[in-house]
Amino acid sequence: MKRLHFVVIVIFVLVTSCTLEKTDYEAELSTETTEYIEFEEVTSITSGDYIISIEALNATLYKGYNEIHLNIINTQTNVSLQDKDVTFLPIVTDANGNKSSCPHAYNLEYNATEGYYLGYAVFTSESDTTISWQLYIDFQEGSQSYKVDQSITVEKQTNMNLNMTAFTGNDNEQYFIALVSPQSPGVAENDLVAGIYKYNQPTSSEGTFPDPSQYAYSVVQDYTLLLDPRMPEASMGNHSSPNNQDLTMENDGLYHGVVNYTMTGNWTLNFIFQNEKGETLKGTEVSTEFTPGIEGAKSDLYIDILF
Amino acid sequence: MKRILLAILFLGTFANAQNTSIEKDSSDVVLDEVMIIAVKNKMKTDIKKTISVDEFLASSDNISFIKRGAYAWEPLLNNMSTERSAITIDGMHVFGACTDKMDPVTSYVESNNLSDIDIKSGQEGSINGATVAGSIDLKRKRTSFGLGKTWHGTYQTGLEFNNKQLFNLGNVSYSSDKLVADGSMSYRKAENYTDGNGDEVNHSQYEKFNTSLGIAYKTTDLSSVRIDAIFDKAKDVGYPALPMDLSLSRALITSVTYKQFFKNKLIKVWDTKLYFNAVEHYMDDTTRPENLVHMDMPGWSTTYGLLSKVNLKKENYSSEIQINAYNNLSIAEMRMYPQDRSETTMFAYSWPWVTTRYAGLSMSNLWNISEKSQLNFGGTLGVNYNFSKYAEFNWIFHPGASQEKTRFLPNLYANYQFKSGVFNSSFGGGYGHRAPSVSEGYGYYIYNSFDRYDYIGNPDLENEISYEANASAGFKNKKGGLQAQVNYFYIQNYIIGKILSQGSPMNYQSVGVKGYTSLDHATLFNLTMHANYSILENLHWKGTLTYARGLDENKNNLPFIRPLSYQTSLHYSYQNLGFLTSFHGDLKQIDYSPEYGEDETPSYTNWNISADYTFYIKNYKTVFQVGAENIFNEYYSTYADWGNIPRMGRNIFTSLKIDL
Ligand SMILES: [Cu+2]
Repeated sequence: MKRLHFVVIVIFVLVTSCTLEKTDYEAELSTETTEYIEFEEVTSITSGDYIISIEALNATLYKGYNEIHLNIINTQTNVSLQDKDVTFLPIVTDANGNKSSCPHAYNLEYNATEGYYLGYAVFTSESDTTISWQLYIDFQEGSQSYKVDQSITVEKQTNMNLNMTAFTGNDNEQYFIALVSPQSPGVAENDLVAGIYKYNQPTSSEGTFPDPSQYAYSVVQDYTLLLDPRMPEASMGNHSSPNNQDLTMENDGLYHGVVNYTMTGNWTLNFIFQNEKGETLKGTEVSTEFTPGIEGAKSDLYIDILF
Repeated sequence: MKRILLAILFLGTFANAQNTSIEKDSSDVVLDEVMIIAVKNKMKTDIKKTISVDEFLASSDNISFIKRGAYAWEPLLNNMSTERSAITIDGMHVFGACTDKMDPVTSYVESNNLSDIDIKSGQEGSINGATVAGSIDLKRKRTSFGLGKTWHGTYQTGLEFNNKQLFNLGNVSYSSDKLVADGSMSYRKAENYTDGNGDEVNHSQYEKFNTSLGIAYKTTDLSSVRIDAIFDKAKDVGYPALPMDLSLSRALITSVTYKQFFKNKLIKVWDTKLYFNAVEHYMDDTTRPENLVHMDMPGWSTTYGLLSKVNLKKENYSSEIQINAYNNLSIAEMRMYPQDRSETTMFAYSWPWVTTRYAGLSMSNLWNISEKSQLNFGGTLGVNYNFSKYAEFNWIFHPGASQEKTRFLPNLYANYQFKSGVFNSSFGGGYGHRAPSVSEGYGYYIYNSFDRYDYIGNPDLENEISYEANASAGFKNKKGGLQAQVNYFYIQNYIIGKILSQGSPMNYQSVGVKGYTSLDHATLFNLTMHANYSILENLHWKGTLTYARGLDENKNNLPFIRPLSYQTSLHYSYQNLGFLTSFHGDLKQIDYSPEYGEDETPSYTNWNISADYTFYIKNYKTVFQVGAENIFNEYYSTYADWGNIPRMGRNIFTSLKIDL
């Protein structure tokens, strides 16, 4: 009888001991991506009585899309500056000393409930020894106008779900597509959000630096971004997913669509960019043929992601 | 007769003074069923004395098999796949952990820990859970209390030459007035088999270890507690028809049973069982270097449940009322490795943590209307609940599909039997629902290497509803008998895979994506003819003919329907010697289904022969057997051989069985 008990126990131990671990799915999703929700101070600039605090997700400015919050506080009264005209201009200087900008909100919008000025910037390159970024912020308080500038560091975006691309369309305009969301996608239907911007060619010659008319960008209005997600990995044979929705513009000035990822890993978002008349400005259709063993073909407009 | 004797013996141990009433009780079928502990071992076929579970099932007329190799065949009951039948072990629900059906429940037991397999066709099987096709209940071996001989053992060994299968099966049992124990252990190891052309079929090897233990203790004169456990482990199992093999599969199947008998009451016995089983299944494709993608596909299935039944009897009426509840969690993962292994792996769930809960209340009744006629009837009302933890996987193909789903599953049947002299006949009908299986409801890119499609489940599939009619007629006298059985199923919302216009394959061998879809209906017809005749007192002939036809709503053929098949055997015994020869085969499969990936399968015939000799080594009864299967060494594959893999060529087998 005792021996039988012993056998039962041994069997139990055998079975429960060397089981292969089940995958922790939540951990699996966050190996390649981190989702940041909190806005934290990147840097602050003091100008006279005012201190300007620049906030972004994870206290960092990255290449690609960045939502930016500005808190402007009077250090004397400890009262924040409310509902004034605040402008924001990022300028990049390259190795040759050429100056240019990137898609950004020039006139910041005051958010009364949260008490900050809301803007964004789509940084097109990372800071390094030859490339430097400078922010120019102007605001007016009473009769006094404040002009500050501050050099900033643009970090490499390691989350590929926030990748961006810049291109020239058939209409010879410069366009920018930057992914905004999801930061951490799942094997699921994901709401895909992107910003689409264009460079406004200056019509007048440059005034005193920094002349905002030379560095103007605007949100592309009511175009369409056709979406075709694929897995580029050769063994996946150009695998695609069902029930995706093309990106169209919504009231928040961003483009919204739906992307389905059928498994984790590398994905390519193939795009065709069309204007409001349905004319293709950039992008090519990708063959739907299943080609195992061959690296997936891509549209000539695409963004790679990984999760 | 032996069963009745044993029952009397058993009853006699606690009810000496009531001989008259006991004799009456013991002839009662229902009570017999629950009280008999020592049932005659039926786990053998005509041709072989020592067999595998699959071989035993194959000897049943209404079972056919989908074969993916030499191991773990998927039993089809009434030509319907395992989703449509309730497969249980002593009434316990166990679910395989493989998305590719490498591990039907029948693969987790061994012939030497079973006493019998109880197959019920159609709705009569619904007492074991909602079903369409019927139920297959694997009955564990149990020794009864107070047998004169306290220790008993059996040892079986044998060799099958074609695939060098060596098996050793051992059983020990102990019986006293208070305590009973049954133990078994078995080990089989086989190498690749060779087909009729003499070519080795790669990846058809297997290795299986199984052990079981059952201990029963008589708590009072009329009650007992029993603990049962089965542990099964299969290693290095090849599936030549699949792109993957199995590196390890393990199951632990446990239960505790409490049984209470009642004397002179309407209730005869109350039997309650709590059970738990865990199955793990790890597929392996490192044995297939030709595969473009390396994948890991582990699966787990954990079930616990309760089974409680009472048996009632009054005069010519007996009844069984049963509560059957279980909870199952099925998980299957899929991880693909890119060719550049430094790149990130790709992960998805093929079963996204799917919970199935079922609770059913069922009743089956037997009314002996007269000496000549009886009526069987009963029904079940079940509630089935499903929950998909990672429903986002299901929403990719079915946006907004329900994450949890509750279904009501009624099952009803009735059958009238009439016997007059040498003639007998029966007719009956049934109506029943079943819920979609985990794969049908929640499966995600499950690659089916038969039609080469990736399959996607649909959580909102309707219940499959079966309307069933059956009849039989027969004639039996001292010399022989003839029996014919037919059944017909009209199945509404028949679930089957249909090509989806959206999505693209995930598995590189795949050609497209299919979604489990409900057909408006499908019909299935099965016919079995059975004849036996004693030519001489020791020369017996037997023959069986089966025919089936399955059609979908557009009158196209359903897949995996057995063509006209036959089996005929002649058995001759002389003193301690027995000889048997048999032919069996299928005719050409005319009604195949190209739509579901089938091609025409030619006919085949197998000729088998065996001889056995019974002798005694020091009072120990010993049976030695030698035989050969597929003597013609015919090269063939059947309609249900996955990917048309060839079956085994000529196989010479030997076995030795000693009763200790
Ligand atoms: Cu498997």
